[in-house]
Amino acid sequence: MSDEDPVLRKLMAAAQRGESASYARLLETLLPILRRAAHGRWRAASPADIEDVVQETLLALHNARHLHDPARPVLPFVLGILKLRGADVLRRRHRLAARESALDDLPETSTALATNSEQEEVLDAGTLRASIERLSPGQRQAIEMTKLQGMSLEEASLRSGMSIAALKVATHRGLLALRKRLGGGQ
Amino acid sequence: MKTEQLIAILSRDLTPVRPIAPVGRRVLLWLALSLPAAALVTWHAGLRPDLAARLIEPHFLLTEAAALLTALTGAYAALCAGLPDQPRWKLWLPLAPFALWLATLGQQCWDSFLRLGPAGLTLTTDTMCLPAIAEGGLVPAIVIVILLRRGGWFRASHACLCGGLAAAALGTAALNLYHIEDAAIMVIVWQLGAVALFSLIAALLGRVVLPPPASPLAAEKN
Repeated sequence: MSDEDPVLRKLMAAAQRGESASYARLLETLLPILRRAAHGRWRAASPADIEDVVQETLLALHNARHLHDPARPVLPFVLGILKLRGADVLRRRHRLAARESALDDLPETSTALATNSEQEEVLDAGTLRASIERLSPGQRQAIEMTKLQGMSLEEASLRSGMSIAALKVATHRGLLALRKRLGGGQ
Repeated sequence: MKTEQLIAILSRDLTPVRPIAPVGRRVLLWLALSLPAAALVTWHAGLRPDLAARLIEPHFLLTEAAALLTALTGAYAALCAGLPDQPRWKLWLPLAPFALWLATLGQQCWDSFLRLGPAGLTLTTDTMCLPAIAEGGLVPAIVIVILLRRGGWFRASHACLCGGLAAAALGTAALNLYHIEDAAIMVIVWQLGAVALFSLIAALLGRVVLPPPASPLAAEKN
């Protein structure tokens, strides 16, 4: 057992009594020990990962203060938390890393982040506008009123003088025609 | 956030905490609450008429002792698993009495096979075991969950596995005092099967039953 453990035990007992200064001293004393232990245990981990593990250990220790038996040494308790929490943190890291791509390495003009590389072309506003222009007058009016201006069928019926049923048919046919022209198929 | 900053936040406005009792004392508390509950279930169901005769049979005594030891070591291992500084051997302690329990019943199965042939290993449906073990193990399970929630969330799945094993083993030990089921193969399949099932369900519920506490930084943000 380390020579500093009697000191740590006193500090831990004081921390359990709610003495902030002793607790701060305890954590400051533990900090280099935890960093060294984490580095020794996970040699391949990056310095950022090691610091994350140390911070998670301190957070878990804070929540587990009451679990320490004053009759038992402090270091095995804290290093036990480091082992358990560290494994959790690094496992989570690896799981995330397997699902994520680093953004820093990609040039600003890269299309790698586009969720659908053809989306821009298909939804190009100009193409869409031109396709609407080529619809029959009735279909164009129905699409513009119900889909672009967001009118209800009743409103569009009042404005255009078309019946609701005729509007529905014109909208449906207009949408089919647009889909065909924009290459979306049925 | 820098770790030094984190230390400053954590040590600010520190509240006192009461250290939990040692594991041994908490196991005694579990026994003190669970044994009367199991006894009450046994008393309510009525003792089996041949109990006096069975209590002098070494096989029956060994099976009951193994079940009770499994319960005791299961509770001990569960409470140890919640703490970060307990050695690994303590977490697997229940394996020894559980293996003894299985071996005792296995030997009885073998004896039946030698005496009666395949007829000695006939398996029928026993619909009583599962609910009866659940009934006998209910209070022990509730008590161990309360003790675990107060006493540590580390290794939650393992803690719940052992806690479930302890409760189910105690429920089974009680069941043998009021339910006549002497065919070893039936005991292995229905009783040990129920114990294994309850333990696995408990392990799967580990993170639900014992969620890690909220980060102290969350309180800081509020």
